[in-house]
Amino acid sequence: MASVSPLPEKIPGIQKAIAVLWPSFATAIVATGLFFSAFHPGDLVPFDLDIDVSPLAAYSIGFFLFWLLGILSSYGTMYFIISNCQVLNKQQD
Amino acid sequence: MQSQKTSTEEPALYAAHNKLYPREVSGYFTRLRMLSVVVLLGIYYLLPFIQWDGRQALLFDLPARKFYIFGLTLWPQDFIYLAALLIMAGLSLFFFTALVGRVWCGYACPQTVWTEAYLWMERKIEGNRGRRMKLDKAPTSAAKIRTKAIKHTVWIAFSLWTGFTFVGYFTPINELGSRLFTGDLGTWETFWILFYSFATYGNAGFMREQVCKYMCPYARFQSAMFDSDTLIVAYHPERGEPRGSRRRGTDLQKAGLGDCIDCNVCVQVCPTGIDIRDGLQYECIACSACIDACDEIMDKVSYPRGLIRYTTENAAIGKKQHILRPRVMVYATILLILFGTLLTNLLQRIPLELDVIRDRNTLYRETRDGLIENVYTLKILNMDSKAHRYILTADGIEGMKLLLDQPDIEVEAGTVHELIARLQADEFNMEERSVTVEFQLQAIEANHLTTIEEARFVGPGKN
Repeated sequence: MASVSPLPEKIPGIQKAIAVLWPSFATAIVATGLFFSAFHPGDLVPFDLDIDVSPLAAYSIGFFLFWLLGILSSYGTMYFIISNCQVLNKQQD
Repeated sequence: MQSQKTSTEEPALYAAHNKLYPREVSGYFTRLRMLSVVVLLGIYYLLPFIQWDGRQALLFDLPARKFYIFGLTLWPQDFIYLAALLIMAGLSLFFFTALVGRVWCGYACPQTVWTEAYLWMERKIEGNRGRRMKLDKAPTSAAKIRTKAIKHTVWIAFSLWTGFTFVGYFTPINELGSRLFTGDLGTWETFWILFYSFATYGNAGFMREQVCKYMCPYARFQSAMFDSDTLIVAYHPERGEPRGSRRRGTDLQKAGLGDCIDCNVCVQVCPTGIDIRDGLQYECIACSACIDACDEIMDKVSYPRGLIRYTTENAAIGKKQHILRPRVMVYATILLILFGTLLTNLLQRIPLELDVIRDRNTLYRETRDGLIENVYTLKILNMDSKAHRYILTADGIEGMKLLLDQPDIEVEAGTVHELIARLQADEFNMEERSVTVEFQLQAIEANHLTTIEEARFVGPGKN
């Protein structure tokens, strides 16, 4: 079979966005569950700062932090794969 | 292969997406699917209102860090049970997929269930398939705007109710309801209600089959659980081909035609927009709408039913079918072992925990009587649904004395109680510098509520 050139440029932006946002979202749910069953939000106030947040706010912020981490990781994966494909494309041309 | 010409272009969410207008269908499997939709949605919307022992029967109380599942109260320490439940849910999906294919997708997946509900509302407001397509193609008019506005208002209202119910699983729904009416909802409660509502509105109203096609991991790997004996929805090409339109009463053999009259109704009813006659495809969610649709057509033209039917690959080519196969048995065995272990553990679970923390400041102290004293902070966790009084004893060194800062230990249901315990022992009875001692906590009048916790007792050591 003739080599098919990978065409990452043709992947629609929304598809890329979902490929990054969606797996990280699912991972963030699992991470939040695991993390907060081990640690009480009240014990987590960083650097002894006197912050008064409700548990629900702490869980929500924790969830978004995990989601952000997941997004960074997913985006990194996508970036490396796509830039690799672009290099391969150029070599084939 | 003829593609579906009847759909209209819509701003592409994914590459060249055509909006689908699934045609309404009736029949045995459709009734079964509707029953499933009604039952599952009913459970979702009503369950948070069911009470048990004076509290919400199913409540994942995040602020209080307790999960109530009917008679069972789970603490963060019991996370393993929830993890086991999730693993079992995953394995059940494997098991049922191997046995009956994608029934989950077609009948029980929230994406399917809510999409069906939103489609139903759409049909009631915008009319049947033809009218919906005509409406979308029609130029903007007051009537069109009104119909669309009604649809979206109903959708949004239903979404908000869905979001409210969702948050009601995490904070008591009755309180949430009264706070909603007095306008006292917390910021995060409001945020999550809106977040879940928006997700429902988007997924069931707009994304629909695209979630299955592009976002669902299960749709991609379910084929790994499939084998030749898995139940699938399939077209019978030997019987149907060559397909083609014909007049009533045409001699099929003379005309060289199969049973498929190529009416395309199976394509029109498909919620994922595929042609089942092209063979097994990963987009097929096995909802069986095409089976009902084709059977209805077969009845009309007086051909036998079952041109599209539930079958297995082996049955389709006339081979022997096997229900019990190694794959199915392996999934079932793992599932049974997990279930058994979980049940045994749950039944033997003692809703009592004792944490012993040694005083970090002083290793030991010598009393006036010449005894060695160690101080401990004890945390008693009563995870039971009622209050208990407890007896605490300590053991490990001959003649060791236990002194408590309070004579009676009574702990309310679902609370943590802290107390200071002092252990005093004669140095000569200590075999080593550091000895393991045991604290035993037992509930009075409930002997099975017993727990033992080990701790270190430190002395100066023998010279």
